[in-house]
Amino acid sequence: MDRAELIERLTPIIATYAQDKDAVASINETTDFIKDLKINSANLVDVILDVEEEFDIEIDNLSMERMLNVTAAIEIIEDKLKTK
Amino acid sequence: MIGNDIVDLEQAAIDSNWKRKGYLDKLFDHEEQFMITSGISSALMVWLLWSMKESAYKIYSRVNKLREFAPLKLHCNNLIIYKDKATGNVFYEDEVYYTESSFDKHYVHTIAATKQEELERVEIKITDQTPPDYKMTNPNSVSHHGAYLALVYL
Repeated sequence: MDRAELIERLTPIIATYAQDKDAVASINETTDFIKDLKINSANLVDVILDVEEEFDIEIDNLSMERMLNVTAAIEIIEDKLKTK
Repeated sequence: MIGNDIVDLEQAAIDSNWKRKGYLDKLFDHEEQFMITSGISSALMVWLLWSMKESAYKIYSRVNKLREFAPLKLHCNNLIIYKDKATGNVFYEDEVYYTESSFDKHYVHTIAATKQEELERVEIKITDQTPPDYKMTNPNSVSHHGAYLALVYL
């Protein structure tokens, strides 16, 4: 799976919880879940759980700690898909 | 130093399904989950523990200039619940924070402090009418969720 496809599958997940819908339109690798998309911190768990389901991976606590932006999410997903 | 967090219970019920499979496991350790499942109001307990962790995290992240999403590294302890308030501690890394919470059927609010005495000195204002000039009043800690704004002055 290349990065473009990965972002394409990730975007609808994070868009669901983004409170800033305008920022969703310009999602890119530097987008921050909280600062840019205004995702409520209680919904970060939903993002993690949705990503786990979508990519059929398990995100450990250490990875979860830094999954606060698109770049980190992509790195984590790629890493988990590799070791699957 | 203080931090505070407010949860609008109506908004939380719309935005978050804490009964979702895996949800509680990502946020709460076994003891905390036991408190949630064994009490009379599980939803209230979820958001009470969550607001304790959030308010403590706000102090920690401000002091350490660090951002992380590590709810399982924050441990709620010594929780005592009264009729409409609660006190407790949150442990995070090597730090201990003192918390004082208040709640009703609309919201849960927690203040965390690095010193117990700070909790006795704080002035709290909770409103569902956001005053446009509230930043001018120099609150020490601000929390906003759903319809509610909580301002704490020290």
